[in-house]
Amino acid sequence: MELDQLDQQQALLTDSLRKMLEGQWTGFPSLEANVLALDPGVELAPRPPVLESEAGPPAPSGWWADYNPNEGMPRQAYSWSCSACALAWVLRATQLDPNASEQSCIDAIGYPQNINPTYGLMDGSGSQLRRVVGDYGVTTGQAWLNYDTCYATFADTTGMMSGGAWYHWVAVRGQDGGNLWIANSAPGYQGVYDTLTRSQFNALGPFSVVWLLH
Amino acid sequence: MSEQDARVTQLQQQQALMTAALIAALEGRWQGAGSVEAYLYALDPTLQGQLIPDPPVLSS
Repeated sequence: MELDQLDQQQALLTDSLRKMLEGQWTGFPSLEANVLALDPGVELAPRPPVLESEAGPPAPSGWWADYNPNEGMPRQAYSWSCSACALAWVLRATQLDPNASEQSCIDAIGYPQNINPTYGLMDGSGSQLRRVVGDYGVTTGQAWLNYDTCYATFADTTGMMSGGAWYHWVAVRGQDGGNLWIANSAPGYQGVYDTLTRSQFNALGPFSVVWLLH
Repeated sequence: MSEQDARVTQLQQQQALMTAALIAALEGRWQGAGSVEAYLYALDPTLQGQLIPDPPVLSS
């Protein structure tokens, strides 16, 4: 059946992407082997690229060189200040402001116009969090991400995120196996502690995600 | 929607992800947001925690 063949080809193409990402360009198994499986008649003259494992990864620079994903996260003092705690964690973990605190970030976000006891952070997309990080000269991105994209994003950066159904901001330390590794100022809230699984992410979203560029 | 239609739809979605992944590769986005790695997870979520990236060194 033609669809079965297309499924098999699609699987080979997906595996080919994996081979490229993992630096397996020639030999077996490899991208080259997959291409030959897809088209046995093709004549190849591979010129594989130099890999990071051969040349060494680029030296980290800027805040990324100083980033400490193990930075501590104190419990939040107020029920509405999770976003300030997440922001303070990011500023400390990146050494952009080693003395950042929940209170200093409440002030920096802008009390009471941008953060207050009634609503917490007023703009749920995180625009004010981005503004504060930007004040330190660091560019950020923001989007409403699905789990896969969010997980991949935090392979090599940090940031903050908030779930619409969670109504709670956390900072993101990185990845932990197949889960997101978070810095949570309210451990246990809605059953979430230091990691966020795919099912929790899907139950507590949609998530607005802010990440730092480097 | 018939089973065949559903499979065709899935293949179309996978092809769109493949195309996006190839663009990411061409543009040197191997890891992070909008990267080859991200599109791979979308194509096959079981790869999360399984990949060992060793991307090419970029020329710029």
